[in-house]
Amino acid sequence: MNVPSEHLFFLSAGLFALGVLGFLVRRNVIVALMCVELMLNAANLAFLAASRSHSRADALDLQGPVFSIFVITVAAAEAAVGLALVIALYRLKQSVETDSASEMKG
Amino acid sequence: MSEFLFYLLSVIALVGGLGVIFSKSPMGSVLSLLLSFFALAVVYLLAGFAFMAAVQILVYAGAIMVLFLFVIMLLNLGGMGTRFELSAAPLSSSRAKLAAVVAAGVGLAGLIAAQRASLPALPEGGAPERIDDIQQIAIALFGRYSLPFQAVSLLLLVTMVAVLVLAKRRGKESAQ
Repeated sequence: MNVPSEHLFFLSAGLFALGVLGFLVRRNVIVALMCVELMLNAANLAFLAASRSHSRADALDLQGPVFSIFVITVAAAEAAVGLALVIALYRLKQSVETDSASEMKG
Repeated sequence: MSEFLFYLLSVIALVGGLGVIFSKSPMGSVLSLLLSFFALAVVYLLAGFAFMAAVQILVYAGAIMVLFLFVIMLLNLGGMGTRFELSAAPLSSSRAKLAAVVAAGVGLAGLIAAQRASLPALPEGGAPERIDDIQQIAIALFGRYSLPFQAVSLLLLVTMVAVLVLAKRRGKESAQ
């Protein structure tokens, strides 16, 4: 594929912006968590694009894939804890809206 | 040919991202996100990361999205319920407009940064066909990056305990 690596970064920026938008706009906690996953995916794509642009046929740059693996692990942990929190919130409030947890609002 | 495929899949990934935000039911969001992840996996494959494409499908589409689906079905949120806001006019409130401005700013900053980044030019004949050699990744993970590797395994253990503590039904409180 002869696409310049900048275009991979453009795709990454677009996906990250969509994740930010969804995280700020949606009030459903589960959808907000999905938007965080979208942002982490954009970060993965940026890591891999950087690795690709620094790789040569005789000298591969593997920091991108290695850090992507770490990011995926953290994303899995984040999803598990986030969804456990969603279940706890639902048990308390019978709702998964962010507005339903506002006791500590000043 | 593969260049055309890359741009097509980029559009599909972005459309999937839009679907996550503007879908009425959380089930539609999950399916849009799956579409986006599969498109990204093929983008990885085209860019020379065959192993990362497989990891993307196995871990993201196979494990994390199943977790989301499981929770949505467990809490019975899958229908087109009216309890979800933003179904009629997504960008009507001032809060949503502010969010759109922030997101557009973040995206623009990312575009400018990507444009100005001093990346080395691709070599003659394009980037290497295959970049993520599994053997080299394993050597890096267990050699140079062994300390982060152990830290991440500790993180997974802590996560497991935390999820058990959070999701466990406490007898006294649930009786009230």
